[in-house]
Amino acid sequence: MAEFSWLSRSPLEHALVVGAHGARDVASGISLTEVRNFNLIQIMARRGKGAELASAATARFGVAAPAVPKAVSASDVTLIWSGPDQFLVLSKSGKHAMDILSHAFSQSASLSDQSHARALISVAGAKARTMLAKLSSIDLHPTAFPIGAAAATSIDHTSVNFWRGNDRPDGQPVFNVLVLASFAESLWRTMLDAAAEYGVDIGLSEELG
Amino acid sequence: MVSHAQSHRLESGGLIDRSAPLNFRFDGKTFAGFQGDTLASALIANGVKLVGRSFKYHRPRGILTSGSEEPNALVELRTGARREPNTKATTTELYDGLEAASQNRWPSLRHDLMAVNQLFSPIFVAGFYYKTFMWPAKFWEAIYEPAIRRAAGLGRAAGVADPDHYDKAWAYCDVLIAGSGPAGLGAALAAGRSGARVILCEEDFALGGRLLADGGTIDGMPAAEWISGTLAELATLPDVGIMSRTTLFGVYDGGTYGAIERVNDHLPSPPEHQVRQRLWRIVAKRCVVAAGAIERPIVFAGNDTPGVMMASAVRTYVARYAATPTRRIALFTNNEDGWRTVETALGAGLQIAAVVDARPDVSAAHRALAGKTGFPVLNGSVSGVDGGKDGVRKILVALAGGARAEVEADGLAVSGGWNPAVGLTSYHRGRPKWQDDISAFVPDGAPPGMVAAGAANGAFGLGACLRQGFAAGAAAAQSAGHNGNTGTPPVADDEAFLLTPLWHVAGKGKAFVDYQHDVTASDIELAQREGFESVEHLKRYTTLGMATDQGKTSNVAGLAIMAAVSGKSIPETGTTIYRPPYLPVAIGAFAGHHRDENFHATRLTPSHHWAAEQGAVFVDTGLWKRAQWYPRAGEKDWLESVTREVKAVRSGVGFCDVSTLGKIDVHGPDAGAFLDRVYINTFSNLAVGKARYGLMLREDGMVYDDGTTSRLAEDHYFLTTTTAKAGPVMQHLEFCRQVLFPELDVQLTSVSDQWAQFSVAGPSARALLKQLVEESEDLSNEGFPFMGARQVALRGGIRARLFRISFSGEMAFEISVPARFGNALVRNLMLAGKQFGATPYGTEALGVMRIEKGHVAGPELNGTTTAADLGLAKMMSTKKDFIGRVMAGREALAAADRQVVVGIKPTDKTRRLRSGAHVIPKGEIPGSANDQGYVTSVCFSPTLDQWIGLALVERGRERIGEIVHAHDPLRGESYDVELCNPVFYDPDGGRQRG
Amino acid sequence: MRIVCPFCGERELGEFTYLGDAKPARPAAGASEDDVFDYVYLRDNIAGAMSEHWYHAGGCRAWLKVTRNTLTHEISSVEPAAGVGAAKVGA
Repeated sequence: MAEFSWLSRSPLEHALVVGAHGARDVASGISLTEVRNFNLIQIMARRGKGAELASAATARFGVAAPAVPKAVSASDVTLIWSGPDQFLVLSKSGKHAMDILSHAFSQSASLSDQSHARALISVAGAKARTMLAKLSSIDLHPTAFPIGAAAATSIDHTSVNFWRGNDRPDGQPVFNVLVLASFAESLWRTMLDAAAEYGVDIGLSEELG
Repeated sequence: MVSHAQSHRLESGGLIDRSAPLNFRFDGKTFAGFQGDTLASALIANGVKLVGRSFKYHRPRGILTSGSEEPNALVELRTGARREPNTKATTTELYDGLEAASQNRWPSLRHDLMAVNQLFSPIFVAGFYYKTFMWPAKFWEAIYEPAIRRAAGLGRAAGVADPDHYDKAWAYCDVLIAGSGPAGLGAALAAGRSGARVILCEEDFALGGRLLADGGTIDGMPAAEWISGTLAELATLPDVGIMSRTTLFGVYDGGTYGAIERVNDHLPSPPEHQVRQRLWRIVAKRCVVAAGAIERPIVFAGNDTPGVMMASAVRTYVARYAATPTRRIALFTNNEDGWRTVETALGAGLQIAAVVDARPDVSAAHRALAGKTGFPVLNGSVSGVDGGKDGVRKILVALAGGARAEVEADGLAVSGGWNPAVGLTSYHRGRPKWQDDISAFVPDGAPPGMVAAGAANGAFGLGACLRQGFAAGAAAAQSAGHNGNTGTPPVADDEAFLLTPLWHVAGKGKAFVDYQHDVTASDIELAQREGFESVEHLKRYTTLGMATDQGKTSNVAGLAIMAAVSGKSIPETGTTIYRPPYLPVAIGAFAGHHRDENFHATRLTPSHHWAAEQGAVFVDTGLWKRAQWYPRAGEKDWLESVTREVKAVRSGVGFCDVSTLGKIDVHGPDAGAFLDRVYINTFSNLAVGKARYGLMLREDGMVYDDGTTSRLAEDHYFLTTTTAKAGPVMQHLEFCRQVLFPELDVQLTSVSDQWAQFSVAGPSARALLKQLVEESEDLSNEGFPFMGARQVALRGGIRARLFRISFSGEMAFEISVPARFGNALVRNLMLAGKQFGATPYGTEALGVMRIEKGHVAGPELNGTTTAADLGLAKMMSTKKDFIGRVMAGREALAAADRQVVVGIKPTDKTRRLRSGAHVIPKGEIPGSANDQGYVTSVCFSPTLDQWIGLALVERGRERIGEIVHAHDPLRGESYDVELCNPVFYDPDGGRQRG
Repeated sequence: MRIVCPFCGERELGEFTYLGDAKPARPAAGASEDDVFDYVYLRDNIAGAMSEHWYHAGGCRAWLKVTRNTLTHEISSVEPAAGVGAAKVGA
């Protein structure tokens, strides 16, 4: 009998080529990094259970789940607001995987596993805002979109969850994009086109920012 | 390549970089210019006066203005694929190697045979097309239009795809400023100092507006010094952005503005990775329009002769570009501002031939200057020009007392006053108001958040521009919440303007109002005589203001002439409606990134790259790329491939990526009750571990979508939609949940992208899957019966969902795994299926099998069919309320003579069917009266070895066995078909349950 | 046009999908054909303030009740639909 292997393959596997892209005569203004291998669970409060979910979330994650468009991080998890009375749980290594969370929230929420439904792309660098202004209709000025700000929005007519992470050690901003897996390659190419003039450094990571 | 000397360039001065000489070509001749020139200024510096031929009469034309209002100096810029027609020489920045050609002449600019049009000018009057080419109608396309297009018209488009890239971007600010003249810079200073986020757009490549040519003293220093000091200060403010080469072209609802940035138009081609132009959508809390004013011509005979130029343009060419359009110049003015031209010309060493001032009371200072310099000041009007394609020779003057005079000059500067740029303030249907002291329309209100300042607001003095701009900037910042110290406002004196209105001087010969469309004063008079007196009629009858310049130099003069001949005042005559864009904007800029392969975002299935490796042919299905079929070596066409795929499934096993179906998690205690309300059939009684086919209606009773929904847990259903309706159904269900049935405790999440889902179909489907699942999984008919749905463990350690559902009519499963395992799954299906001859199949084979099985799909679920039309009436529950229930019961929707789904097959077994053919009773002459329906879906059925189809036919199900006529006038085909049971294959369903 | 989503803040028009008049209420089960006909088809053609359903499709997926002046596009209020999120409507 044949042996079956189950290699996980990112929706960006085909399109992502680590290295430099675009203009070479400028210092690379954009880092585009795909983050692979994460758990992502959508949690939606059941009717009238908003408060119950909030306390269950605090108990489980050690931080309050965001009730407004923000992303909050604890040591091993990032909670990203995704709509009224709902948020996404982004984590690594299965610690907050579907089976575990559905047990923890069975009384107060409906959960859907989205770990395979999204690709996670981080856009960073001195030109990150300039480049994202071509793709996003959101005001990304530091006062309008500070660290921890999040948005459920659209890029290139594609729904995304978008939030600003901590600045890089060099002080440059970092923006994270969760895009639907089927759209990921298309959006990736659009991002490369938008970023090319600033010089792009393409990378791959297993670490959540 | 020998370039000609710059015969008309001043020895010194101007804002050009003499250390950066540039060569360029115009109509094949090489010339030289400098960095900082426009094409127009460089042509002037080289003594070129004739730059184009007019639209209708092919009259020789020269450069009229120095800005974006230019109606004459339109050229074809660049060559080959980058050739761009109707480009204004006056705003085209010179670059080395620039190539431009004049337009609208044949065979050459100097000898244009089409100028004979002038001889026929009595017939080219206003309304000419309407009067002449009325009939016969077919002559229009065949004869008139091509002939007119050759004789009249503008430049030629490149005719091939634009090789350059464009993009679009968003920007946000508190205060948006249009224009960088004294008012705009004043506004930027005040708003920037108060801490506001500021964006200033300037269409020129240099900042300063009229200050660049007219200078002046601000805060005790020369204007140039003040500009550089101001720009230096603005550069220190972190949130002040200055965008040159950027025109604000429109204002839209909610404080959204459109701007076009000519990022690399000043280079031969954009540097690698860069765009040519970028379209900006700017969201601003407040906007200060400091877009200045446009100097207006006076209409007189011969006013289009090359060498007749706006007075302010003369100053711009001389002072800013050190280029002299003329050596001996006359001035025709009705206001003080025009007199500045005399000072500028004298400063550059030009001769003043005469000043013709329409006002009787010329100031003593001007008279003293005239006396000292030795030029006459004539009180009167220019009534004609003696000249031609080589320029002006003589000016004919009608003196105030009635006498005539002639002035020898090689150029004429004209100032009829200034029209504030009221476009932006009027784009929300605003109508500007008339201001008597400047005889011009000024803004009367503006869209929310917008205010005009400076010349755009009718304030023409330098001091007033600075004051108004600064105050508007400060107020705008404050109302956007910024109260920082705005510091000291810049100060300057106000010059006198003192205008006496003059629009039109009677004389012999053509007097042009709209230069670009060749509309003359007599055309307007004719329009009035023929009853086209309303300005909107005047515009359309004469085409006044309808050229690419949108009448920037002509509209107000045209209104004034209409007012005069109709005996009304100008404000009574009124203006036409102002509409964006302010300037022509390339379609490419609006498209931005979205062209060619980026026309829209693309969705790929989890097996896409595997399918591509197999050589699959892909088809666009909405945004998706789906494998349509998998050709194999030696197959001569798609039909052969598809036929093989179908046979492989029917005789063995095949698989197909169906991940494109919409997938929705329906959670919550009321999930079943919710589904009962959105589907016509009942789901609350579905057992856990089972799937059921469901049909949704629209509230009007028509079928909306279908799909299978499975119950995975007591409070969890997994709903699927068709590929096409995935998004709309999600929106519809959210509407039901949030708006219609808020009392239900139900949650919806799209999980379309979470699951890679494959149909595995055919007699060997079970055997194949048994290879893949753990031994403990029972896939037997008893252990996993038809319409079962449950989780299974796969060999190698992952879990899948398995559904025993069939679209093909075969024993079939759908298997789904988390999407990142989709690629592995398809490879494992190949591996596990090898011994069974497992064959991947595409959407074509999928379609063939669903037609053979009589399943309805998109062509039948077309928004006009009811459940009964589709043969699914018995699914409609009578025991509950559901969306569409009441309207589906309407008499006409339940009528017996409706067109219903039925099978068809040609009586001639060798005939090919086509969808779209109409069904007509046999023996009748086709016509709408006896049209009984149409063919919706067809395919070649490998199973039946002939073409078969589905059709919507009146009373179709009662007419099984009847021969009818398929009439296809589109393809010129007509043939007989037999109405039959739509289930061509395995009608009792034994195979799929087996 | 820009709409202030009560959850996401001000967003551009492209993120929203328009449905139409928010006034008609779906008749309860058992309503007459005439009542349902009115609900499905009959609409006022309002020149002025109008209550409309909009869907924040490209954002948080909330259905919104937007009061918009059809003459000026001015939006005077935006409210979430009754059943958005975990709202306890009719409980």
